[in-house]
Amino acid sequence: MNKIWAIARKELAAYFQSPVAYILLIVTVSVFNIFFYVIIDNNQEATLRDVFKVMEFLFVFIVPLLTMKTFAEEKAAGTMEFLMTTPIRNSAIVLGKYLGSIIFFTLIILLTSIYYVIVEFFAAPDRAATLTGYLGIWLEGAMFIAIGLFISSLTRSQIVAAICSYIILFLLYFSLNFIQYTQGAAEAIVRYAATLSHAENFAVGLLTTADLAYYLSTILFCLVLTRISIENRLWR
Amino acid sequence: MIRTEKLNKFFGSTQALKGVSFEIQKGEIVGFLGRNGAGKTTLMRILTSYLPASSGAVTIDGKDVLKDSLAVRRKIGYLPETPPLYPNMTVRDYVRFAAQLKDVPAKGISAQVEKILDQCYLRKVAHRTISVLSKGYQQRVGIAQAIINDPQILILDEPTNGLDPVQIQRVRELIKNLEKDRTVIISTHILSEIEQIAQRVLIIKDGEIVADDALSNLLCDEQGWQQSLEEVFLRLSQ
Ligand SMILES: Nc1ncnc2c1ncn2[C@@H]1O[C@H](COP(=O)(O)OP(=O)(O)OP(=O)(O)O)[C@@H](O)[C@H]1O
Ligand SMILES: [Mg+2]
Repeated sequence: MNKIWAIARKELAAYFQSPVAYILLIVTVSVFNIFFYVIIDNNQEATLRDVFKVMEFLFVFIVPLLTMKTFAEEKAAGTMEFLMTTPIRNSAIVLGKYLGSIIFFTLIILLTSIYYVIVEFFAAPDRAATLTGYLGIWLEGAMFIAIGLFISSLTRSQIVAAICSYIILFLLYFSLNFIQYTQGAAEAIVRYAATLSHAENFAVGLLTTADLAYYLSTILFCLVLTRISIENRLWR
Repeated sequence: MIRTEKLNKFFGSTQALKGVSFEIQKGEIVGFLGRNGAGKTTLMRILTSYLPASSGAVTIDGKDVLKDSLAVRRKIGYLPETPPLYPNMTVRDYVRFAAQLKDVPAKGISAQVEKILDQCYLRKVAHRTISVLSKGYQQRVGIAQAIINDPQILILDEPTNGLDPVQIQRVRELIKNLEKDRTVIISTHILSEIEQIAQRVLIIKDGEIVADDALSNLLCDEQGWQQSLEEVFLRLSQ
């Protein structure tokens, strides 16, 4: 447990030392800011629902930049050899890194809550819907991070990790647009796999076990795959 | 203490190790010698459980390095060929991080970190970011990381690479001064270094052990004449 935390802290410190992280922080908060005003102005409604949709779209772009270095950098720099010869379980390495990314991502999200305070100040928003909305985008980001982490563990090139993560996240995000070309079981699968069909529910305050299960199981699945992937480098 | 049996290692079609078997007792200081590409680093990686052998087995204190990997890793301090450093960390943070991963008890961590910083002559640069250190200092940080938990077994891959003569001398002292019951495996291209610290030498040629003997025996030829380690090495490794 201490070791997981030690790795998470190291990851977090690395984020705060890299300009990429600050740029992402600023971009996220600014985009939130812009759409907050545009959407509220258009809708004349005290809700963050549509802002959440924009955020989800934004995460497709920023998460790969957050996760690309997690394992790829260690492999390229040879520090993987250090990590994997210290007495730490592979699952602890994975969890530590995941935790580090998640904490940084959570910080970004927390920063955007200023806007909720503004809404709260001027109107009476649906508090429950806002909370589930935040939970929704947080889960979505957490899932994207798990995917990005796994991809990063497959390569020693950060660029390759980023590009492959983009491809997968785009597929997951936009697959609903192609649903008209599918039928039967394929349609059901695409609808289930598409993040949009789950995220929307959260934004309108609908909390279902199916949606929770979708995110949590995908996260778990990706973390397990990541562990297998770093273990597997042993058997090459 | 360390026992390998018929280790073979293939990278694709190239064979990096061929039937390597040896046994190292507790407290021995063993030098690995061999030309570039002979397989020293590969062998060390297998001993530390970083790489699996294609066939054969390694046991340390009777424990298999792959099956009982965590227990084995707890006993080993390992300095890889390229020191495994996080460029954006400060020296002290990095050594502390290593201490945390290597089970140094939480209470004693600070004291231990400071002790090791002193031992590796890193106190002056302890607050500096690793990326701005000179190569020799980075190498020393790598050594600090390897000895942070007072491991019973030290495996050092070219530890004095890039160090100045004074530091080379100090690293030798450091290795010699480790308590007597500690096992050290060291690879190097500096033969005089081996002559000064190792009791036993393993010469590897194209993945095979061509000599495994006490240093004093190696330095005597069949007629009992003294010969230099350089002569022995050049004869056996070409
Ligand atoms: N990951 C790898 N993939 C393919 N071949 C490898 C790999 N690692 C090592 N080899 C090959 O194995 C052989 C032994 O390499 P190794 O690094 O163990 O040599 P070495 O004795 O440490 O040499 P040096 O003195 O240059 O450090 C070389 O032929 C090398 O090309
Ligand atoms: Mg080598």
